Parts: sequence; C-alpha cells; structure tokens
Amino acid sequence: MIQNKSIRILAIAPLSRGLGYAVMEGPDKLVACGNKAILRDKNAKALAWVNRFIQFYQPDVLVLPNVTAADTRRAMRIKTLHRKIVAWAGKQPLNVRLVSVTQVRTQLLGATKGTKFAVARTLAEKFPTELETRLPPKRRPWMSEDPRMDIFDAVGLAVAFWPKNK
Amino acid sequence: MKSLPNYLKSQRKHLSLSQEEVGFLLGMGGMGKGEKVCRDENFLREPTLQDALAYEAIYGRPVRELFAGMYQQAAQDVAARAKILNFRTLRKSDVRKQETIIQLAQNASVNSSKQ
Repeated sequence: MIQNKSIRILAIAPLSRGLGYAVMEGPDKLVACGNKAILRDKNAKALAWVNRFIQFYQPDVLVLPNVTAADTRRAMRIKTLHRKIVAWAGKQPLNVRLVSVTQVRTQLLGATKGTKFAVARTLAEKFPTELETRLPPKRRPWMSEDPRMDIFDAVGLAVAFWPKNK
Repeated sequence: MKSLPNYLKSQRKHLSLSQEEVGFLLGMGGMGKGEKVCRDENFLREPTLQDALAYEAIYGRPVRELFAGMYQQAAQDVAARAKILNFRTLRKSDVRKQETIIQLAQNASVNSSKQ
C-alpha cells in the first residue's frame, strides 16, 4: 500500500451506463468527482474518457475496482473494458491499484457486509459539500439503480485506497 | 506531487455555483461568460490579474491556493533566477540584498521539495 499522502489519485468505476470518476489529493481532499454516461460503442468511448481524465488530472495512481475478486460480479463487457484500461495504464507513467468491494465496505462501514446505499450515505457524511446533494434516495425493489450511484462507487474506491486512520 | 494549474472547478462546486453565475460575478458580459469560466477551469486560458483577484473574492481562497500549480511554477522560476542573481552579485557588498536573494533561492527550493 502506498503510504505517501502527497499524491493524486484517479479512481475510475466502469459501470453499465458509463463510468464514475473521483480525484483525490490525500485522504480528506476530494478534488473532483462525477459520472459520465456513455451510449453506443461504450468500451471505446469509455477508454477515450479515461485517457482524457488522465491527461487532465495527471494522477500518480489509477485506482480501479477488482473485477476478478470473489466478491465481485461484472458483465463480460465491463471485464473486457477493465482489462483494456489496465493494459493501457500499464504503458503510462502511473501505478495501477485494484480495490475490491470488500475493502471499500471494510474501510467505510467497518464490516465486510453492507449495502451500496449505506456506503453512499457514509461518503456523503464524509464529504458533505461535494456529495450530500448528489445522494440519491434509497432504492426500492421495483426501482433501477440511480445513475448518481456511479459517483459514489468511484469515490468509495478512492477513499478505500488510502490507509485507514493515517 | 505537482499541483494542478488551478482548483477553480472544485471551489465552484463547493459553493454550488454554475459557470455562468461565476462569469456574471466576474463581470464578464455577453453570452459567452460561462465559456470563459469553463476555459479557465480547463486550463485553456490564463485569467487576467483582475479575474484572478475576483476569483479570490468569490471563493474566499488566496490566489496562490486557487492557482496552486501556476504559483509553484512561478516560485520555481523565481528560485532559478535568484540563484543566477546571487551568482552575479557575489562581488558586491550589499548585505541586505544578498540576504534577500539567498532567502528567495532557499524559499523556492523548500517549495519544490514540498511538491
């Protein structure tokens, strides 16, 4: 685990609608976050957006979800996109770190089990000015997932990257 | 870590302002006032001194924090020039000037080591 806090990280959460992104400069400084909806030819466009984010924010570390972990299920397209991002990032002057969902939950909820909404609410409490207004209502069984949850997925990855209580 | 050229976007998001609203506060006229703010935020335009000071007034942060990357670059350039100036003025006996130049060179080397 990288201990140095004076680095900039870019967390990317590739998801079915597009991708979520978050940029942090230390465990308590969220520089930017958002989501990008992508329609048609998703993998190529998502890769182009990742490239654009890296050129813009010049991160030292790229944080991605660990899609091959036992606790994670992803569509084949997302796995392919993930592989492409990792391969592409390997050619860039930056480190790549994979963070699993369990790590995110452990870091934010203090337990290996918990809902995405609980994680999102914890993040909104941690970064109220940036995220409180973007917290979607709790999803009901008949509802689809809110697109804004992409942001919380990415911020969760970024927060889980930093060592806890340091 | 080298700072980003500016942190205008994150500060604007902090205050929940739109680019057009910030453009209006900056005193930019016409239809494209939001576009100018967009160009500032995307590092495509270097704002004027008046705009930079207006940003400080809007966001309540000093210019050196808002434009951290630009400040770091300027500090490094000053340090490099101070070293040259120090070398040039070695023969002269103005102690206060000598101290100022050495201080400038040291300040900037401290700044660059913090990055």
